[in-house]
Amino acid sequence: MLIAGIVLLAVRPSGRLPAQTVDALARRFAAMTAVTGYEQAMTDSLLTLLPGSARDRAGNVTLTLGSGAPTRVVFCPLDEVGYVVGNITDDGYVMLRRVGTVPLPNPIYDQQLEGQQVTLFGRRGPIPGVVGVRSTHLTRGRPAATESPFTVDNAIVDVGASSRDEVLRLGIAMLTPVALTKRPHVYGTRLLAAPAAGRRAACAALAAVVLSKPRVRGTVLVAFVVQTRYQRDDLATLSNLHGPIDIVRESTMPLVASLSVKFEDTTVETVDLADADVLMKNLVRWFGAVR
Amino acid sequence: MIIALAALLAIQDTNRIAEAQAVLSPLVESYGVSGAEGPVREAIKRLLPAWVRTETDTAGNLWVRAGQGDPVVVIVAHMDEIGYRVDSIRSDGSLILRTRGGFFPSLFEAKPALVHTDRGSLPGVFLPRDSLSLRRAPPGLRASVGATTRAGAESLGVKAGNTVTMPKHFVRLAGTRATGRSFDDRVGCAALILALRRLDRSKLDHQVIFLFSVREEIGLEGAAVAARALGTTPRRVYAIDTFVSADAPLELPNYAVAPIGAGAVARALDNSSITPPAYVDSLAALARARGIALQVGTTSGGNDGSVFTPFGVVDVPIGWPLRYSHSPAELIDLKDLVSLADLVRAVAEDW
Repeated sequence: MLIAGIVLLAVRPSGRLPAQTVDALARRFAAMTAVTGYEQAMTDSLLTLLPGSARDRAGNVTLTLGSGAPTRVVFCPLDEVGYVVGNITDDGYVMLRRVGTVPLPNPIYDQQLEGQQVTLFGRRGPIPGVVGVRSTHLTRGRPAATESPFTVDNAIVDVGASSRDEVLRLGIAMLTPVALTKRPHVYGTRLLAAPAAGRRAACAALAAVVLSKPRVRGTVLVAFVVQTRYQRDDLATLSNLHGPIDIVRESTMPLVASLSVKFEDTTVETVDLADADVLMKNLVRWFGAVR
Repeated sequence: MIIALAALLAIQDTNRIAEAQAVLSPLVESYGVSGAEGPVREAIKRLLPAWVRTETDTAGNLWVRAGQGDPVVVIVAHMDEIGYRVDSIRSDGSLILRTRGGFFPSLFEAKPALVHTDRGSLPGVFLPRDSLSLRRAPPGLRASVGATTRAGAESLGVKAGNTVTMPKHFVRLAGTRATGRSFDDRVGCAALILALRRLDRSKLDHQVIFLFSVREEIGLEGAAVAARALGTTPRRVYAIDTFVSADAPLELPNYAVAPIGAGAVARALDNSSITPPAYVDSLAALARARGIALQVGTTSGGNDGSVFTPFGVVDVPIGWPLRYSHSPAELIDLKDLVSLADLVRAVAEDW
């Protein structure tokens, strides 16, 4: 049964997935939140999307295509720098702790939260909230507030609750992941803007290739990797859990499926979905060839 | 019996909240930067009761008249919102922006944008700063619609004078609270619509003008046009506008502390008008008589009613408490909108 499945994978024409499917997948992935170390909701979605995939002991979603030597690996990082609940006050406000890259990716990384809608991924489902900001009117005629950028230490999340108990009843607790509410935004000619849009579009291209059942020479380990923005060595973990891997670097194909972006690590990180098409074609070619 | 009565009242409350949201939500999700209030005006017309006849003046203000005779009373809420307009298009296709109204530009930096062209709303982005500036405020904000040349942007319908906003979403929060952008002053507009829907016209023994004004955020310009047109005819004006509340964790508690969810607020003193104390007392008495929650407070900002006062018209501004004003995270309690609508109706019918 397994052998028959592999044969079918091998004879199916490759790279036939229409571009709009890549666009749809990229938008879908960009709408998801995967705070580094708290990626389970997104990895659950990938497990559902990709038949035959499994979650490894590190939390990565992996899939093995083809058989025999050599064994190669291609992966995309799917996590993002984000926030978790660090404290809940008696009067129902929520404080945050950042999780991920230190130092900050850019000076206004945290400031992008100020005065914006956020989503708290509580135990009873997503809960909307906002990050407070001083009212413009009430600052007039008073000494100017600090000119330094807003930081996570200034972030106070308001979910509309009036007490700690009301917050807890919503399913929000310590370590609940929190992120800007994701609403991917397409502008220009297939430009996708969203937090971590580049990573998500690259993962979408990789997933689209897997779904297109490409021709595979040898064995390819496909991995959607978690905790890359924390402290983990992605390749070492994959090798330890899935090794041995024969070929980890090739001149014609990057090991990491990635895309160049504009406005990196901002709310409007922008990726050109035409580049995702190119990545997809390169991946299909790479899956079927060994140099 | 008492339990059944309580259950009935709870259902009525829920229905009132649902109606308030059904009116407010489409208003909040309409776009109308000062001077470009057309979509909001059309949304209001769709939400008004069937008996209403509207007029639009040359400034763009929308007028609704009910009842006849003196004293004429004006109840005004403004349709416009803060935002940007395109000042010019650079050779690289990016748009140089100018603010319309007062707000923190940092709240728009590196966010999705909509450029409102003659052909419709065009998606784009507010560009992040291109330096590693360590200041909170961005050094002049620009937007991009993805074009790389001036001609490319123009071919998409972009031109100087187009207004630019951020996409908006009305979102319910815990309990009866909600968030969105431009609650200031769509809540006021919603209160007038809800009051008109429930207005008992047989009770009106004088004319009440419900005015939906333009260009409040850039200097009360629309209301000034209406005030000049009416001259000394009105006796009183009620500006139904935001009570910017210090009931928020980042604010100083010196004044403006009107808790959200505790009802409408008599905006007795702000930066543009002082309500005569006897009128505040009278308004409070009216609210008590009708069983309407009313707070009394002082806050910052100006109101449309203030431009009527040079004509000897008494300005009685009434608001509802708002957290995080002029931000994408404005936050209200829908109970306050219900209370405000009831008070507007009471003012029209009984005062």
